[in-house]
Amino acid sequence: MIIAERKSMKEILSMLEGVKKLLVLGCRGCVAVCSAGGDKEVEIMASAIKLGKKLLNEPIEIDATTYIRQCDPEYLEPLKKDGKKYDAVLSMACGVGVNFIADLCPDVKVLPGVNTTFYGANLSSGEWKEMCAGCGSCVLHLTGGLCPVARCAKRLSNGPCGGSQGGRCEIHPETPCVWHFIHERLQEQGEADRLKEIMPIRDWSTAGEAGPRRRVREDLLP
Amino acid sequence: MAKKKNKNQAQAEIVGFCCNYTVSVEPEVLKERGLVPESIVFKRLPCTGRLEVSAILDAFSEGAKAVFVAGCKIEECHNLSGSKRAAKRVQYARKILEELGIAPDRLEMVFVPRGESEPIVEVARELKMRLSAMEGQS
Repeated sequence: MIIAERKSMKEILSMLEGVKKLLVLGCRGCVAVCSAGGDKEVEIMASAIKLGKKLLNEPIEIDATTYIRQCDPEYLEPLKKDGKKYDAVLSMACGVGVNFIADLCPDVKVLPGVNTTFYGANLSSGEWKEMCAGCGSCVLHLTGGLCPVARCAKRLSNGPCGGSQGGRCEIHPETPCVWHFIHERLQEQGEADRLKEIMPIRDWSTAGEAGPRRRVREDLLP
Repeated sequence: MAKKKNKNQAQAEIVGFCCNYTVSVEPEVLKERGLVPESIVFKRLPCTGRLEVSAILDAFSEGAKAVFVAGCKIEECHNLSGSKRAAKRVQYARKILEELGIAPDRLEMVFVPRGESEPIVEVARELKMRLSAMEGQS
């Protein structure tokens, strides 16, 4: 899922300068699962803004609600009309939601309430780890299911580098070297010979280096 | 999102959220006996684990200058993990207060052995003293 984290209240209050009527808008998608922008976080954000504005002696009227998702047009439909009632909408969704509101609701001033950080897995309650870089050119079938793009600090295609020591990354010693584990995993699976093949230079154009990516499936189009 | 407002809370200098199981004496009795400052408003909860961060922040918005949360001792929580959850939420609320420029030591959590009220009296008095000291500095 997409992982996000709340922006600092200093940054939020700075964004909300002059805003007298605000909608804090949550999303029940990924940001709800990673406890950054679901119902509960929306409630906390509304209370924190109310307190912050009170300290600044700036009156503000705050409404709060949470949509099922902010990345599908049907769920944003009500905002086209309702959003006009507010000086600003603070979206607690990932950057996709904020962008989509900006695209679909040009009359609404949308602001980001969270920083969108990475695609990650939930290691335990309150702990997430990046597992996928969304590079658009998956090589997991060659690497025992472990991603060298998201989990190697140097994004090496043929690792490990000379700095890998005792299964640890030289850049972040607390982080396991993913290439060390790729070697171990493939040996366990009897596919160690696969590592003798040199992976070709990666085509980064699929990773968004050539502008915003778009995918169309003709069979699903209306 | 709607919350019931305690009429007295607007005037409360200190708000104390207390677990129903930890407070053996009616909080108002503590006031009547002069054991805690008059300016405290107690709010009893079925369990401090039910306390949300937003309720703590709202208490400050409604005029409280300090807030405390009194829960069961961690290992003796009536609802097993309620006071542990409350302590984590208090920690998060303190972080938000700090980001807003409010001294985080205006918010305290105390763990009260079943049947005792002394920790509540102590934290109430301590917060009152802190507030007096802060006012003296400003």
